[in-house]
Amino acid sequence: MFDAKLWRALAEMGTLGLPFPEEAGGMGAGPVEVMIVASELGRAGVRSPYAETMVAGTLLGDDALLGSLCDGSALVVPALTEPGRAWSPLPVGVVLSGGAASGVRAPVPYAAAADHVVTTARAGDSTAILAVDAPVSSTLDLAGKAIRVLAEDGEATVRRAINLGILALGAEALGAMDTALALTVDYLKTRKQFGVPLARFQTLTQRAADMYTSVELTRSVVYFAAMSLAADPDDEVAIARLKVSAGKAGRHVGQEAVQLHGGIGVTAEYAVSHLLARLTAIEHTYGDARYHLARLARRVGDYGALDLMA
Amino acid sequence: MERGLSAQDQQFRQEMREFFTTQIPQEIRAKAHTGEELTKDDIATTHRLLHAAGMAVPAWPVEWGGKDWSNRQRYLWFDELQLAGVPAPLAFNANMIGPVLATFASEEMKARFLPPTAALDIWWCQGFSEPEAGSDLASLRTTAVRDGDEYVVNGQKTWTTLGQYADWIFALVRTDPAAPKPQQGISMLLIEMTSPGVTVRPIQLIDGGHEVNEVFFDNVRVPADNLVGEENHGWDYAKFLLGNERVGVAPVGWIKRKLADVKAHAAQVAEGEGTLLDDPLLAARIAELECDLAALELTVLRVAANSHHGKPDPASSILKLRGSQIQQDVLELMVDVAGPASLAWEPGDDTPDWARRSAPVYLNFRKASIYGGSNEVQRSVISSGILGLKG
Repeated sequence: MFDAKLWRALAEMGTLGLPFPEEAGGMGAGPVEVMIVASELGRAGVRSPYAETMVAGTLLGDDALLGSLCDGSALVVPALTEPGRAWSPLPVGVVLSGGAASGVRAPVPYAAAADHVVTTARAGDSTAILAVDAPVSSTLDLAGKAIRVLAEDGEATVRRAINLGILALGAEALGAMDTALALTVDYLKTRKQFGVPLARFQTLTQRAADMYTSVELTRSVVYFAAMSLAADPDDEVAIARLKVSAGKAGRHVGQEAVQLHGGIGVTAEYAVSHLLARLTAIEHTYGDARYHLARLARRVGDYGALDLMA
Repeated sequence: MERGLSAQDQQFRQEMREFFTTQIPQEIRAKAHTGEELTKDDIATTHRLLHAAGMAVPAWPVEWGGKDWSNRQRYLWFDELQLAGVPAPLAFNANMIGPVLATFASEEMKARFLPPTAALDIWWCQGFSEPEAGSDLASLRTTAVRDGDEYVVNGQKTWTTLGQYADWIFALVRTDPAAPKPQQGISMLLIEMTSPGVTVRPIQLIDGGHEVNEVFFDNVRVPADNLVGEENHGWDYAKFLLGNERVGVAPVGWIKRKLADVKAHAAQVAEGEGTLLDDPLLAARIAELECDLAALELTVLRVAANSHHGKPDPASSILKLRGSQIQQDVLELMVDVAGPASLAWEPGDDTPDWARRSAPVYLNFRKASIYGGSNEVQRSVISSGILGLKG
C-alpha cells in the first residue's frame, strides 16, 4: 500500500516539499508546481500519500517536523475525518480541553506507514491543530494520547491546507482520467469482436468522445484552480468548483473506461480497474461533489452573472 | 493563460461594456434578452451600429475591417456583447461567408463583396442543407451546370435561417456529378435571391415562429464570376466555415446572462414563505450549471490561447458540443423557474415577458444541438479526428 522506496525517490526529487518554504526544507514553489507533480502521479497510476502530504505540510506551519516531511524521513499524514460523520473540514466530535484531547479520528490514511499524524480539535470557538504519534491502526482515539498543540486558532490554516490537498487530488484525478481514456481508446482500436475492431461500433466511439469531453473540461478547471490558489490560497470557490467538476468527471470517465473494456475492466490484473478505484477514493476525500455543490448552492443568490476574470 | 485580467484588458472590457450598454438601443437589447423574435430592422440596426464603431467583424483580416485584437480581447468583446443582451452581428455575414471570402476568394471578389458584407449592405443566408442531405451534407444534390459564362442551378435547400430577409445566398452545389468521391464534386456559388427561378417558402417551427425556410432553385442562371475560389473545391470552404462556426459558437456570455436571469427570476417567484431561490434543489441545479459553465468558459479561453495561425486546438471540437448542451440546460431551467407561468405564451395577461417567452425559447433552442453539425456529428469528429477511432 505504501511504497517506501518510491517515497524516498519522490523526496529526493524535491516533490514532497514543493510548496513549502526553503528555510523549512521545502522548495519554495507553489500550487502550479504541485498540480504538475500530482497530475503526473495520477497519469502514471502511482498510489501515494501525495495530497495528504500537501495537507499535512500546510497544517504543520513552521513546526520543525516540516523539514522531515520534506526530506521524506518522516511520513506525516492528516487525520481529518470522524467515524459516523459526513465530511466536515472542521472538527466536531474531537475536542481539546485543559491540554488534553478527546474524540476519535478514522479512517486515518496510511496509518500503518505513518510516523506522525496531524489532526484538528475543537477548542472553544477555535480550531486547534495537533500533532500526535501515528496509531497502529487506521483508528486514532485521542483520549489519553500525548499531543503537541501546533496552533490554537488554526481554522484558516486548516482551510488552506484542504484547498491545496483538493488541488493535488483534482490534478491526480485529471492524470488518472487521461490514462483511463488512453487505455480505453487503445482497447477500442485493438480489441476485435464480430471480426472487427470495437472502434467500428459508434455506440462505443460516441461514448469515448464524451469521455474526452469530460477530461478536457476537467483539465481547464484544474489549471484554473492552480492559478487561483497561486493568486489566493484561500480561494475556496475555485476549489469547490474543481472538486465538483473532477468528482463528476471522475465518475463518468472511470465508469465508462471500465464499461468499454468489458470483462477485463473489472479485473485487478488490468490497470483500468485501479484507476476507477483511485478516482472513487479521490471523490470521497476532502468532501465529495455533493458536499461542495451544496456549499456553492448556498451562495448562488449573492451575485448575478458568473465572472471568473474578476 | 493567467488568472484574472491585465490592467489593459480590464480597461478594454470596461470600454466594451460602456459601448454595448449605452450605444445599442435598450429596447432592442430588452427584446433579445427575453427572447422576443427580433425584426429585420432590429438586427440590421444593431449590426450597423456595431459596424460604424468597427465592432461588427473584429475577427476578419484588418484590411477588410477586422481588429488587431488579441484572442483575449476578441473574447472579451463577444462576452460583453452577449452579457449586455446585444444581438450578435449577423452570423451569416460576420462568421460564415466573410471569413471564407477573405481566405479563399479572388481579390476582385473580396473587393466586391467584403465591404458590403461587413456593413450588412448585403444580407447573406446559407444554402447548405437539403431535404436529403443533413448530417450527410456531402450527398447534396443541387446541381450547377456550366453554360457559357453562367451556371444553371437546379435543386432545393432547406433550414435556410432568415432567408426571408436575405439579399444573397452562399450555396453548395454539385458541379461534378462524376467525381470519384461526393466531396470532390462540390462548389460554392454566390447567388442573388432576386434571381429569376429562386423561390423562398417559410417553415413554421416548434415555437410557432418563422425563422427558417426552404429555398428552391429552378433553372437559376448565375454568372460564373460568382464562383468562390476554384470549381469543385467547395467542400474545403464548407469545412473551413463549419470549423469556424464550431469554435465561435459557444455562447458563454449569453449563458452567463441567462443564468443570472434565472437567479433573479427565481428570487421573485414566491414559494411557501420564501422564494424559489431558497429551494436547495433549485439552488444546486444553478450551482451545478455554473460549474459546467465555468469549465466551458475556461476551456474556450485555453483553446483560444493555444490556437496557432488559424489552426484550432483539437479541444475546440468540444465547444460546440458542450456549448449547446449548457445553453439548452439553462433554458430548460428557465422554464422550470417560470413553472405554471410558462403555460402562458400569448401576451395580454399579467405574466411577465420572461416567463411568457421561456417555453418557446426553450423549445426553439433544441435546434442548438442539431445545427452546425449535430452533437452526434461533433462526437464523431472527436472520436475519429482526435482519438483516432476509425472503424
